[in-house]
Amino acid sequence: MPMLNQTPDPKAIRNDSDPSLRSGFQKARNLFSTDHKIIGRQYFFLSLAAVLVGAWLSLLMRIHLVWPKAIILFLGEIKPENYLAQLTMHGTLMVFFVLSTVPQAGFGTFFLPLQLGARNMAFPRLAAVGFWTALTSFLVLMAAFFVPGGAPGAGWTQYPPLSALASAGPGQGLGTDLWLVSIGLFCLSSLMSAAGFVATTVSHRAPGMTWMRMPLTCWSWFVTSILILLAFGILLAAVVLLMLDRHAGTSFFLPGGLLISGRAIAHSGGSPLLWQHLFWFFGHPEVYIAVLPAMGVTSHLLSVFARKPVFGYKAMVGATLAIGALGFMVWGHHMFVSGMNPYAGFAFSTLTTAIAVPSAIKTFNWVATLYGGRIRYATPLLFSAGFVSLFITGGLTGPILAQPALDTYLHDTYFVVAHFHLIMAMAGLFAIFSATHFWFPRMFGRMMNERLGRLHFWITLFGAYAIFVPMHLLGIAGHPRRYSDLSGVQYVAAMAPLQKFITLAAIVTIAGQLIFLANLFWSMRRGPAAETNPWECGTLEWTPASYATKEGPGEWRPQVNHGPYEYNVPGAENDFIMQDAPAS
Amino acid sequence: MPIISDRVEIERKPKLGGGGPGKIPHRRGFGGGDDGDRGRPEDFRSRNQRMRRYRIGMALCLVSVTAVFVALTFLYVFRLGKGRYDEDAHRWVTDWITLKLPYLLLWTNSLVLLLSSATLELARRTMEKKEEFAAMGIVPPRMRRDLPWLGITLLLGFGFLAGQVVVWNTLRHQGVYLVSNPSRSYFYLLTGTHAVHLAGGLLALLYAAGGRFLALRFESQRIAVEVTSWYWHYLAFLWFGIFALVHFARG
Amino acid sequence: MSVALRLALLLVVLGCVYLFLAHPYWFPAGASSLSGLIDHQFRIALWVFGALFVVGHLILVWALSKKPHAGGMASQGSWQLEVTWTVAVTIIFFWFNISGDHLWSSMMPPAKHGTEIDVEVTGAQFQWYFRYPGADGAFGKTDAQKFARPDEGNPLGIDPSDPAGRDDIVSTAMIVPVGHAVQLHLRAQDVVHSLFIPAMRFKQDTVPGMEIISHFTPTKIGAYEIACAELCGLGHYRMRAVVRVVSEAEFAAWLKQHGSF
Repeated sequence: MPMLNQTPDPKAIRNDSDPSLRSGFQKARNLFSTDHKIIGRQYFFLSLAAVLVGAWLSLLMRIHLVWPKAIILFLGEIKPENYLAQLTMHGTLMVFFVLSTVPQAGFGTFFLPLQLGARNMAFPRLAAVGFWTALTSFLVLMAAFFVPGGAPGAGWTQYPPLSALASAGPGQGLGTDLWLVSIGLFCLSSLMSAAGFVATTVSHRAPGMTWMRMPLTCWSWFVTSILILLAFGILLAAVVLLMLDRHAGTSFFLPGGLLISGRAIAHSGGSPLLWQHLFWFFGHPEVYIAVLPAMGVTSHLLSVFARKPVFGYKAMVGATLAIGALGFMVWGHHMFVSGMNPYAGFAFSTLTTAIAVPSAIKTFNWVATLYGGRIRYATPLLFSAGFVSLFITGGLTGPILAQPALDTYLHDTYFVVAHFHLIMAMAGLFAIFSATHFWFPRMFGRMMNERLGRLHFWITLFGAYAIFVPMHLLGIAGHPRRYSDLSGVQYVAAMAPLQKFITLAAIVTIAGQLIFLANLFWSMRRGPAAETNPWECGTLEWTPASYATKEGPGEWRPQVNHGPYEYNVPGAENDFIMQDAPAS
Repeated sequence: MPIISDRVEIERKPKLGGGGPGKIPHRRGFGGGDDGDRGRPEDFRSRNQRMRRYRIGMALCLVSVTAVFVALTFLYVFRLGKGRYDEDAHRWVTDWITLKLPYLLLWTNSLVLLLSSATLELARRTMEKKEEFAAMGIVPPRMRRDLPWLGITLLLGFGFLAGQVVVWNTLRHQGVYLVSNPSRSYFYLLTGTHAVHLAGGLLALLYAAGGRFLALRFESQRIAVEVTSWYWHYLAFLWFGIFALVHFARG
Repeated sequence: MSVALRLALLLVVLGCVYLFLAHPYWFPAGASSLSGLIDHQFRIALWVFGALFVVGHLILVWALSKKPHAGGMASQGSWQLEVTWTVAVTIIFFWFNISGDHLWSSMMPPAKHGTEIDVEVTGAQFQWYFRYPGADGAFGKTDAQKFARPDEGNPLGIDPSDPAGRDDIVSTAMIVPVGHAVQLHLRAQDVVHSLFIPAMRFKQDTVPGMEIISHFTPTKIGAYEIACAELCGLGHYRMRAVVRVVSEAEFAAWLKQHGSF
């Protein structure tokens, strides 16, 4: 590694300034810190807790599906109500607390100021309050497991009337109330965090850090934050309305004449479709809230590890903006068979097809970035390449599902499950893994183990495909999703062998994630100490001076003279140029 | 990226502000800014930066608030137009009961809110003037003369909220409950959401007005008043929007 | 590592292609007038997007195997290329989209002929009910809250005072004659359900408080399963019913047999 000459000793600086490496007492004092590096790490660990619970739930579901009589340690036999609670909580945890938390609030809070050359977020206290609200929200959600009736069982989409009436099933009582409170808090948390992101991007860029010199990660975080500001307010409103329907006797979502398990319901005059419109008006941008930061990370890393500038930087920025804008106009494609006016299907289908175009542009640019690069096959590159592959695979079923005629058949079958798990969950997860490996030295001062990282990559890549590609076939054969048992419908029961294969693949893949956990925690304590800029990346978070930033008065005022991706510039000393290097 | 040299921008841009007020030792009294403000000439830039930052934050907050109110308006209009499906008659029927609004009360409230908007604007301008004195290095006259505007705004704000409670109570006594008809549900929802937002603004103004007891610097007070005034005017505007909606689209 | 990654990606492509060619599970045989059209569209979709999947991965593998170019700064982008592939994918995607729109138009509710068989479908936790208007051709009024007595043979709450409801037939299986357009009136008593008949390529949510009109035309005699496709509670997985497509004579006999009381 070429040593950079501006710094006396990076490690000495880091030990002095990096709050995470201080003594126990100081660490305790730092718990409520407003330092973005600490908040970013706190989000990271929150998501880690959420993903462990979420993955455990998916394992329980897979096991229950193929061995319904299996006795699980401590839990006993899984009953249908447990299964529904598990699928609801799995979806909620993964969508809210993992996919839209760690790439955005986790890595974003840590690296957005650093990459922009700022000492902290624009509203540090707001960011801190945002995190503690998110943590509270997580704890409230977890509490739903331990109340009478258990966790809610209406799916993460919580369609009323099922979610609006306590008598509609177990878990629809206190469990659903806790779910709603939790999601309400999560909305507030996301809004606070996103406001800080946008303000930071607009006002805290270092001198010379023009918009077109921002790393693509920053662009993604910026656009995602705008989506959050517009979408999460709507979800909050919807959640409040549902709460009013449940407890104040209003009928926003409840029509008249309902008869639930023999009992007449007094509400009248509302429309269940209204919730679906509100929910998906939030819910579809939410998909992009989850995947845009993942795209940004991938663009960033492919360039770093291919030692090439990002191909078509401006096209990438344009595609990000286009996805953000179109993301608000496609929610109806979740509702082709909901009873919505069928003529609306034309508009939503066309707009959905339109949003596939910027996604395709991004894919082409990623491949072109790799093309002809001096590729360094480190773990982050492997996961980023995996992201591109999964994005292609999962993305191409999108235009199929965007057709109302085909969606009529495929809606709410395993085909949809396969589609969104590949493109959102698996691709998102691969980006999270690559970002973790890539930024780990910056976050924890040590390197992660490459061998374990690669082993983990191979298991996860093949695992992801082995689990989710066969699910397309289940969907094509008409297997509806959210079935807690295969025995109820005969043609579904016939698909048990393939379900069994998927479960086996899931067990192996989830077990493989233990390698990642071991690598993570082992490396945090025992990993080899990292260089200042181990990946030879040109963005500002790796400048020696950035390690010395403290919250509050500090002298880090980098002068940015270069673009974010100047690799292999002819005549340069190294094969990369730091953004704050003197202008040539 | 091609290497572009944009000197012009570099010179034009202020030095980076950044950093939170979190852990800086607070210095009491007038004049101190945040972000390592030690009264040096370049610190004035960071003071402006801070104001700019909070303005951006408030603009973003308004974006989110707008999204919520647009959604609620959309729901209102959708519900008003659609009605309920009668399964036996096989058609959509209107079940929207036109709301009889207590106009006198509502107009009084509107007036109170409008007045509060005006007094807050006066408070804001006085503080702005004071800030200019400070920038010239002149210790401004004590704040006694300005505080009334803020105090009056607070009184008017609380007056508006109290007036809204009176409106709801009046409706309640007429037998117009939250649950009795969608028109009522939506009326309470819109006015209630607005009141909750206004209460948030009141808290911010209380914070600014109580600056002396909180050992707040003038600078922070001014920022609080400045950005809250944006919010406040916007809520006044929203109020008239809601009023117009429930009046003109009453079904 | 480079070789391993490329091999792995190729392996994944081969595996996926094999799985789809072997397809151990596939569409159930179509039995409605539209199933042929939908299957055709789906076949086009699979070939087009399957090809794009393979080509996309091959390009990725090719890009990974390209030798690094020597000297000079690597390309930072090319607007010509950007425009080329944008136009290319736009054409493919929108061609596919427009062909789908044609299909969707043909699935729109057709003009009423008066010859349709009217069936009212009601979803209730966790049972499907099918109601036929009987000889008078009119459904009786219902009020589930007042009259529904599942144990006493009136699960839909047909108003006993409405003469139109006297001859209504309520069944837990759907019986329809082959070759006739069936007009479904979809309703739900409690929560959102979804009537899914895979063989008819038919799916429509049933929403409480709404009556959704939908159509299909069965073309083959046989018994086909109905599943619920929208999470409706504990028994969602067993909310099954059967649609029996019978000959016209058999259907008339069935109506007569059940409509007599």
